[in-house]
Parts: sequence; structure tokens; C-alpha cells
Amino acid sequence: MAIVVLSPGILTSVQDGGRQGYQQYGVSPSGPMDLHAFRTANILAGNDPDEAGLEMTVMGAELTFTAPVLVAITGADMGATLNGKRVAMYRALSVQAGDILKFGFAMKGCRTYLAVRGGIGVEPVMGSRATMLGKNFGGFKGRKLQKDDRLEIRPCTEALAHPETYFAEAEMVPEGVRTLRVIMGPQEDRFTQKGIHTFLNSEYTVGQDFDRQGYRLEGEKIEHTTDSNIISDGVVTGSIQVPGTGLPIVMTAERATVGGYTKIATVITADLPLIGQCKAGDRIRFQEVSVETAQELLSQEADRLEALRRQVEDPTHLPPANTPAPQEAAAPAVEHEYEYTRDVTISINGKSYEVTIQKWKQEQQ
Amino acid sequence: MSEAVIRPAGDSALLVEFENEISLEVNSRVRALKYTLEQSPFKGMGELVPAYRSLLICYNPLEIREKAAQEEVRSRLGHMDKVSMPKAIVTEIPVCYDKEYAVDLEHIAQLEHKSEEEVIRIHSQSDYFVYMLGFAPGHPYTARFENPFSFKRMENPRLKIPGGSIVVQLALSDIIPFDQPCGWNIIGSTPVLACDYRKQNPFLLQAGQWIHHRPVSKEEYLDIQKQVEAGTYVCRTWEKED
Repeated sequence: MAIVVLSPGILTSVQDGGRQGYQQYGVSPSGPMDLHAFRTANILAGNDPDEAGLEMTVMGAELTFTAPVLVAITGADMGATLNGKRVAMYRALSVQAGDILKFGFAMKGCRTYLAVRGGIGVEPVMGSRATMLGKNFGGFKGRKLQKDDRLEIRPCTEALAHPETYFAEAEMVPEGVRTLRVIMGPQEDRFTQKGIHTFLNSEYTVGQDFDRQGYRLEGEKIEHTTDSNIISDGVVTGSIQVPGTGLPIVMTAERATVGGYTKIATVITADLPLIGQCKAGDRIRFQEVSVETAQELLSQEADRLEALRRQVEDPTHLPPANTPAPQEAAAPAVEHEYEYTRDVTISINGKSYEVTIQKWKQEQQ
Repeated sequence: MSEAVIRPAGDSALLVEFENEISLEVNSRVRALKYTLEQSPFKGMGELVPAYRSLLICYNPLEIREKAAQEEVRSRLGHMDKVSMPKAIVTEIPVCYDKEYAVDLEHIAQLEHKSEEEVIRIHSQSDYFVYMLGFAPGHPYTARFENPFSFKRMENPRLKIPGGSIVVQLALSDIIPFDQPCGWNIIGSTPVLACDYRKQNPFLLQAGQWIHHRPVSKEEYLDIQKQVEAGTYVCRTWEKED
């Protein structure tokens, strides 16, 4: 049982819940950039929330399957089609051997997740199947997927008794200015009052330099009291470093484990998915919250996922009568009917990619 | 000795800071706190990330909230001085200083107005302390406590130097685990791997230990390299004398 990559998209990699326990050796956690969407996909595919799946970036992959399997798609809408027909996100979908699941361009958001029932069966490295792209280990051969890669799917002993209950309300990737809530520090005392005011009151734009290691933001410069150097200390996912340029860098999944720049604040864990769905040009504001608030929000997120898990496992949780069964979940949209098709060049981290953007005539089914 | 400061680093970690300097004394407090926490972890405690003068303590806020985690850390700080630490380990790193591997040795000797032999002797005579690991998996940040050399980084960093390179500046000497850009002078090369993903524990070193450079001939370098490839080479280690 396997997934075969027909076309890899721009940047598709195997990720799981992340690699814990090796930061003291310089190994960052890696894992999905939008943990909420990732875990939701796994729950909808009947998996453990941190099971290995695929993360696609901006322009998705084209995949085929060697055996029937249940999958679920979440995150940014890449206009996924199954054998040419549009399929719904946020629900379990049955795919058959030979089916072609194709993802396009994310008009909104940045990352899309594909969970497969059983999970992707790559060999764990240091207890995790997450790919660490920047250091070339973990996941599938330590790299992003390429054409003709064959990913084994871990066999599942039992089929889901009632896959039709495995659906959730589709979540929209946020648009417009995203507000990232932050906890100030640990080095906020290395910034002037004016600098802190700038940070909390101006709008920043995601620059061309955004990837799984970090997001460089552009906007008003943040003023230090003296300079931006500290004696290197530990970094967490969400740390906001401000180097000498005065411009913030949000550290993400593949960040360094230690760093020598002042950190003005830390994005709260519950808001990390927001940055994971940003791409160049997206706008960001920061809002200060207390640790208590952040932890309460995180607790609510855990409760939401747990509630979803219980809901999908409940045999009486049935979709509205007019919703097609998962096997026929393809939208009624006419095959390949686009409002427009456009070839564009997009640039990520200095690399250019030629992509075809196809806007569906019927945006919502 | 000033009191440690505990600061939140987001909603899932605390940063404990000791005096703001790089010294063995300050770092010994980092190690003592880490050891104390490892010996008596609190509920919800996660990874510990030691650095020069601070310890990052990760925790799971679904199991313990910040205030309670702070209390736990404060109590460990209170009795960490009573904990007797195990002796530090020294790991022997075989280093080949032949021209082929030590591309900057001649340059270093010129900068220091010493012979190449003298430079090798200085580099290999004293142990270096591993303050922390970072930058790349298994990459040690090491230093010693007199000033063996006076030269700093090169003006033009190289875009790529090979994994295994031993690079130096001032009191610092690092082992480069993987190919990377680097602006330090290369004094030699080791055949042992600072990070070997084939192994259950991939890492040769850890924070708080020492390394000792042993000069080896090219012949021995190649022989050790073969053993490393076969996964049979084990670096010699011993306890550090106080």
C-alpha cells in the first residue's frame, strides 16, 4: 500500500507531530507549520493526531495510490481534485487504487495537509517521522518529495466502521491582517519603550524570506536600547528575534535551538498556525497577552481537537442529508471549468517557481 | 553570586538566567540546575536546553501552568547547591593536522608567529569545555580558559567547509558536524562524526563535558575513518580531574 508521487508541487514533505527530546543536541522539533490543521486532518482520517502525513506548500502535489485508502485534506484550499473532480476538504475521503489526487495553487493561505489512514510509513529518526528539510534528515530520505517517490502507507488492522461520520466544519484560512498574540520577552528589556511601542502598534508584512525555519517580516524598525546581541540562549518555536536590522524574525518549526539575538516576544502556541498559513505579502500585527491567557487558549485548542475526535467516532454524528457520501464526495462542479488559467512565476526564498493558477468557476460547492 | 532570574519564554517554556557572562563558574550553575531537574523532574516538565548562562525549561501547559512550573523551578534552584554532580567526562577527538586537512595551519602559524608544530602543540595540550550544542545537530560550542591564540575569524567566510573540520579562533575551537559555510580558520580535521544518524544516540558530545584533541597521522586518520564508517570506532573517554 503506497502513495506514488506523480508531481511533487513546490515543497511537499512528510511531517508528524514533531521531534521531541533532542534540542539540547541542536535538533529542532520540525513538524507541521500549522499543527491545528495537521492534527485535524489526522483525526478526520481516523489517526492519532500526530501521525505522519504530508505538508504541501503554496502549490500542491499530484499523487496516486496503489491500494484503496481513506484520506483527509485540511489547511489551505488548493482546489484538490480526485480523478478530475473537485473533492471536499475536512472530511474522510475514500480513494481507490489508481485514483489521482491532484492539488493546485493555494489562492489563500500557504500550507495544505493530507492525512492517510494508518499514516506514512517512513523510518523514524530520533523517534520522529518529521522531515528536517534544512538539515536533510528524517521523513522521506531527509528531503522534499520528488516525482516517482513511493511512500509506504502503514497498514491499519481495522477499517473505520462508519467513515461517513468523519467530517468537520470546513475551516477557512484567515485573510487580511493576521493578529498574532504574543507573550513579551524574554529580552523585552533590551528594547526602548519606543521600540516596544513600534512592535505592538505597527503592521508588518511577510517578506520573500519565509520558510520552515522562520519568517522575516518587513515594516517599521524596532529600536534596541543598545544592540541586538545577547549571550546565546535557548529559542522556542514562536520566538521573535530582532537582530541589528530592527526587523523581526518569527522562528518556526525548523528554527535553530539556540540563538544570539534579542528576542522581544514569543508568539503564543495557539496562534502559531496563523503564521504557518502566511506567505509573502501577508500582513501581521502583534498583540500582547498574558501567559495565563495563552495557556487557556492552548487548553481550549486541545479541548476542541478532543471534542472533534469524539464527534467523528460517534456513529450518530451524520452529515446533513444533502451531503454526498465520502465515496461520492466529488463536487458537482463540471470537470475543469475554470474562470481563468494563468501561468505565473512565484518566488520563495529567492527560488523561482513556474506555476499555473487555475481559479475555479464555482468557488464553493 | 546573584540570584537566578526566571522569565517566561512563551507559554510552554521558562528561561532561567544566571549571571550575564560566559564563564565556567556561571555555566556550572546551569549544569547543576539541569542535573537537579533531571534527577527530580516535575510533572509536565519537557526538554531542557542548556546554554552558556541560561537553561531553557520546556513544559506542557496542559499538565502544569506557568505559576506552578515557576514554583517547581524555584524549589530546584533552592537546593541545587546541595546536589553532588557527577564528574565531567573528557572525550578524545583524534585530529589530523596534515596540510591536506589543516588548510589554514600555515596561515595560523604566521598569524601567531609560531611554528606549525608549536601551534599543534598548543591546540592539543589543553582540554576544551563544551558549553552547549547548537547551530547544527551535534555542533559543540567549545572554549578553554586561557587565550591559546590571538587571531579571530577570517575576513571572507568560506561558502562551504567539509564536515569533520576543526575550526579555531581566540579561545574557541569547534567541530563542524556537516558541510557548512564558515569564517573560522581550519586547523585540522577529525574522522569521527559529531552526529551520526545511524546510531541510537547520534551525538558524540553533550553540554558540560570536555574534549581533548589527540594529533594523529594521516595513516591513523584513514584507519579511524574506516572504523567510523563500519560503526565500530569508539572515542576514548575519561573523567576530568578537578
